[in-house]
Amino acid sequence: MNSFAGHITDIRSSDGLSVITVKVNAVRFKAVVIDSPETASWLVTDNPVQVQFKETEVVLATGENPAVSLQNRVKGRISAIEKGELLSRVVMRTDIGNIVSIISTDAAEQLALQENTEVTAMIKLNEVILAP
Amino acid sequence: MIVLNLHKTLQSAQGTMSLQLEMTVQKGQFVTLFGESGAGKTSTLRMLSGLMDPDKGYITVNGTTWFDKDRKINLRPRQRHIGYVFQDYALFPNMTVRQNLEFALDKNQPRTIVDDLIGTVELRELQHRKPDTLSGGQKQRVALARALVRQPEILLLDEPLSALDSAMRQKLQQYILEVHRKYELTTILISHDVGEILKLSDRVYEIQHGRILRQGSPETLFGLGQSSAKFRFTGEVTGIRKAGVVYIVTIRIGNDLVKVIADPSEAEFLQTGDKVAVASKAFNPVIRKI
Amino acid sequence: MEWGPLILTLKLAAVTTVILFFLAIPLAYWLSRTTSRIKPVIEALVSMPLVLPPTVLGFYMLLAFSPNNSFGSWLDEWLGIRLVFSFAGLVLASVLYSLPFMVHPVQSGLSSLPRSLSEAAYVLGKSRRTTLRKVLLPNIRPSLLTGIVLTFAHTIGEFGVVLMIGGNISGKTKVASIAIYDEVETLNYGAANMYSLILLGLSFVTLLIVYLVNGRYLKRFSR
Repeated sequence: MNSFAGHITDIRSSDGLSVITVKVNAVRFKAVVIDSPETASWLVTDNPVQVQFKETEVVLATGENPAVSLQNRVKGRISAIEKGELLSRVVMRTDIGNIVSIISTDAAEQLALQENTEVTAMIKLNEVILAP
Repeated sequence: MIVLNLHKTLQSAQGTMSLQLEMTVQKGQFVTLFGESGAGKTSTLRMLSGLMDPDKGYITVNGTTWFDKDRKINLRPRQRHIGYVFQDYALFPNMTVRQNLEFALDKNQPRTIVDDLIGTVELRELQHRKPDTLSGGQKQRVALARALVRQPEILLLDEPLSALDSAMRQKLQQYILEVHRKYELTTILISHDVGEILKLSDRVYEIQHGRILRQGSPETLFGLGQSSAKFRFTGEVTGIRKAGVVYIVTIRIGNDLVKVIADPSEAEFLQTGDKVAVASKAFNPVIRKI
Repeated sequence: MEWGPLILTLKLAAVTTVILFFLAIPLAYWLSRTTSRIKPVIEALVSMPLVLPPTVLGFYMLLAFSPNNSFGSWLDEWLGIRLVFSFAGLVLASVLYSLPFMVHPVQSGLSSLPRSLSEAAYVLGKSRRTTLRKVLLPNIRPSLLTGIVLTFAHTIGEFGVVLMIGGNISGKTKVASIAIYDEVETLNYGAANMYSLILLGLSFVTLLIVYLVNGRYLKRFSR
């Protein structure tokens, strides 16, 4: 699991759901959770929190600012790539640390991913887990 | 409210150990003592019930002093009015299930409680059987019912479910929770099973070498409740298999086997038999009526 | 052959067994529980009759209870009890002599019960006495039976101690084992043989009962 320490900068709640913005260094992550400041005492602005997401949920894109709906974006450079028959494991170096992504080998080849390729990691906000 | 302050030098296979515990249990709480065997958990229950004398310290329960070394107060076990379920059940082999319960009755106590309890733990069909003809789970239910005959306010459970299979465990956990609520008990459980602790207890004390190492709610202590991941279970790893660049981990959750994909960085810390927490965002599962 | 000695033997064995049963249970219970430093001393004393020639025990009892010395004469004068050459003396001697045969099985039976059994009774609000009577003793029935039968059989087989303290008074202290000796001394082998056969049969049957009954218990518990 990819895990980064940040702190909460914004909380928007409605009907028991909340969208939380967490700043990890210069990168902003957004997460949607079934919690609100009333049900989870740790949901307080400026509180430290861990941002966590599974490797298999990390989407990779090449090129500048692709037009997709995913708002959680981290730019980096591939530092290692391990290709299996079906799946490939990509490790990329970013400003907030290493992010691991598991994508299909077909996709990795289509994007011609290799070491030192510049990529953007994107994670859907409903896949981001927050842990105090 | 139970206030314990216990000092005791214990002799064990590993040599002498000095137990020093201080804890306060609120009325109506379900508390678990967790930790390695030989850490002093059973000794704590024995001292609370009067089967073992502390070297120093005091025990007060709801304002009454049960033990105080300095004031030379030491109530006998039978004066303490406690329900105690022993690890080996300790059923009396010469008595039937019903007689085991009736033996526990105090003088002049109405017998209706026996029928009530036999009903609660569903032993009606077995009430005239002798303990040695019962299965482990059935014996456990008898032991639980017998401990409640005198309507104690405190129930002590020494690893009551450790010898049972998982289906039986789940059922008995339900019984324990039921009697805890029905009879408004303050319950202290010894358990090694994280899933069980999460399910039953309000508060956990982790005990190591006779000292309290950590304490808190089970969720904080086992580090998975304080997370926004709503879809979470505890289970046991039954298999780990490499599949290309990832691993497939098979986990038994209750009676179900699930498979989870794990990154090598996680899988290398796992082995078969490990207790694990499985969590996911609540946004992933699909629901379909069956 | 007369029936007198045989009846006296059975009477002595029965009285001794009953007295020992009630004497040995508290003693065995204490021995199975105590952590006292004098426990080995008491255990050694209880076991003495196993190794000591019966004549030694008989000799010292004879000395102690003889009306010619202070303790014996005190008993005689103040309590009107004469223990030498009397049935009461025989019973006392037999109780001491058969003590280990009752105490050992009961003690080992009590020690073999899991400690949690009595602890469970204590936390259920029961006294030590109630626990012993209702929980511990009913669960060591085979041991109790073994103790009873061994004591009974062993008392039947007594000779030396009985001869020393009881002498050989017909109808009063002359038990079967002494009668056999008597008959052999007067070369009356026929009568000796009868006594012997009856004792042989009696001992065999009592022991057989122990093994049969305990076998049944064992089967029940192992099921």
